[in-house]
Amino acid sequence: MDQKEIYQLMAEKLGTAALGFSDEGVEACADVAPERIAEACLFLRDDERLAFNQLMCLSGIDWDGYDENGKGKSVKILGYAEDGQPETSDHVSEGDFGVVYSLYSHSKLHKFTVRVRVSRDKAAVPSVAQVWSTADWHEREAWDLLGISFEGHPNLRRILLEEHWVGHPLRKDYQMPDSWDNVPLNGQPYGNNPFPTPEVTPDPTLDQPAGDDPVEG
Amino acid sequence: MAIENIKTSKGWADQDHVPGLKSELLELNMGPQHPATHGVLRLVLLTDGEVVYKVTPVMGYLHRCAEKIAEGVNYKQWVVYTDRFDYLSPMTCNHAYVTALEKVMQQEVPERAEHIRIVVSELSRMASHLIALATFGLDMGAWTPLLYCFREREVILDLLERISGGRMLYNYMVPGGVRYDVPKDNWASDVIDFITMIENKKLKDYNELLSFNKIFIGRLANVAVIDPQTAIDYGCTGPVLRGSGVKFDCRKDDPYSLYHKFDFEIPVGMGEKGTVGDCWDRYMVRVREIEQSCRIIRQALESLPDGPYQAIELKKIVKAPAGAAYSRVESAKGELGHYIIADGGQTAFRNKVRSPSFCNLQVMEKVGVGLMISDLVALIGSLDIVLGEIDR
Repeated sequence: MDQKEIYQLMAEKLGTAALGFSDEGVEACADVAPERIAEACLFLRDDERLAFNQLMCLSGIDWDGYDENGKGKSVKILGYAEDGQPETSDHVSEGDFGVVYSLYSHSKLHKFTVRVRVSRDKAAVPSVAQVWSTADWHEREAWDLLGISFEGHPNLRRILLEEHWVGHPLRKDYQMPDSWDNVPLNGQPYGNNPFPTPEVTPDPTLDQPAGDDPVEG
Repeated sequence: MAIENIKTSKGWADQDHVPGLKSELLELNMGPQHPATHGVLRLVLLTDGEVVYKVTPVMGYLHRCAEKIAEGVNYKQWVVYTDRFDYLSPMTCNHAYVTALEKVMQQEVPERAEHIRIVVSELSRMASHLIALATFGLDMGAWTPLLYCFREREVILDLLERISGGRMLYNYMVPGGVRYDVPKDNWASDVIDFITMIENKKLKDYNELLSFNKIFIGRLANVAVIDPQTAIDYGCTGPVLRGSGVKFDCRKDDPYSLYHKFDFEIPVGMGEKGTVGDCWDRYMVRVREIEQSCRIIRQALESLPDGPYQAIELKKIVKAPAGAAYSRVESAKGELGHYIIADGGQTAFRNKVRSPSFCNLQVMEKVGVGLMISDLVALIGSLDIVLGEIDR
């Protein structure tokens, strides 16, 4: 089915929550109000004319500093400086977060792309893990790397990073840590032992080391 | 099932038949260093005796956040990171990335380059499937096929070394073409000789040694059945999906590159030895795909056109106009997709990788429940996961 027709079917169902459709770029996509995305996905899956039974991909995006003019002048991400210290910046992140759902139908053999955008201070999207089971891990990944929260997700924990990791690395304002679990990450040469042997001062109260006495008898 | 429900269920309480002796569920760590988990994967199992009640995969031990690196290096520099995703078939990973990038760039690729890409991708797929057969046999206690499969894989690595210069990680494809042309020293005829040998002799060997071995079948038939609805719902792709009887292959159903020009079939699981979607079906799909890869390679090499093999000069830094696109290819493990957002510069604004092993592994949370621990090993082997791709 044509991309435009799919959008019109969805717009009939969603009303004002269908925010727009664009087929100017390489790939056509539809924008949906974030609070009704789970409902939209359920419709896309269950409607007989659409039957999107597979979620190919769910991508979280940090839109902070995206160059709207297409000149390649987006905000630079922060890495490590030449002296090995984490780079810092005065830039205050303010862009939205986005989630993109790429759908495919095995029976109708058509694709569709749905996007949502949420503001940075309220980064929460309804979960679609009940619609497609595969969304479970994709959403956990988006939470882990971008810090987008998915309401109604059965098990929203970090998936790739450690449970107690601080921050979300794919955010544009993420600052690299200078150490992790007492292991310095600040670009020290590999030759340096990160765990130097502590200097042991001999205890004067002990005359001789214990445990070396010969056993009698 | 939640742990609390299991603990209070009737079947559970009934086992305390010896007065004063209580039994309880055992939490067992399988991995991260375990020969049957095919990499640094850790499975937290909740078991009652030999039966698995709950399985929770824990991954991330190989996480490098390659998607963050993609935002810091330019498009061509990132090809080398795609090699490290599925390190058993890096050519298909290269192919996935350059295909997605060319879609965003709207870049045409010379026909000769596409033919070479298809040949090396299929060789890579064969190498990956050979490893899958070998290690699967090993998991099931069959040592000999491992040596046979690695012997043939060695030939593939030699062939790919001659065309790309690398044995395992190639960095061979570039946006707009491939890095080097086909070597002049009979490379093409050597490839034809090799696939003829595989088709005529080696596949029969594998089938006699492993596929139709009575013990092997007895171990795998009717084990860990994934039905088609579950497979699609969990986003399974590749041999896992086809093993469940769903005839879907990106090369046929969502054609990229020049696959529509070639004549080949999609093998699916048919439940010959048990139920459709059991471990043996998933295994057998891979064996039959090796045969189809041979067919594709033969056609691609026999019709290899003359002409340029690069559309963009190798030294040139590529830029992609602003836009976003999702593109997928059929890698050895399944549907490998890239969602690239370009902002007009030399670097991707966002590059999300949808890796097939990541989605295939998730189905284990459902299918693994109720299996014996030894059958769980069969399930992992039949899913054929690569941890470099899951953790990225």
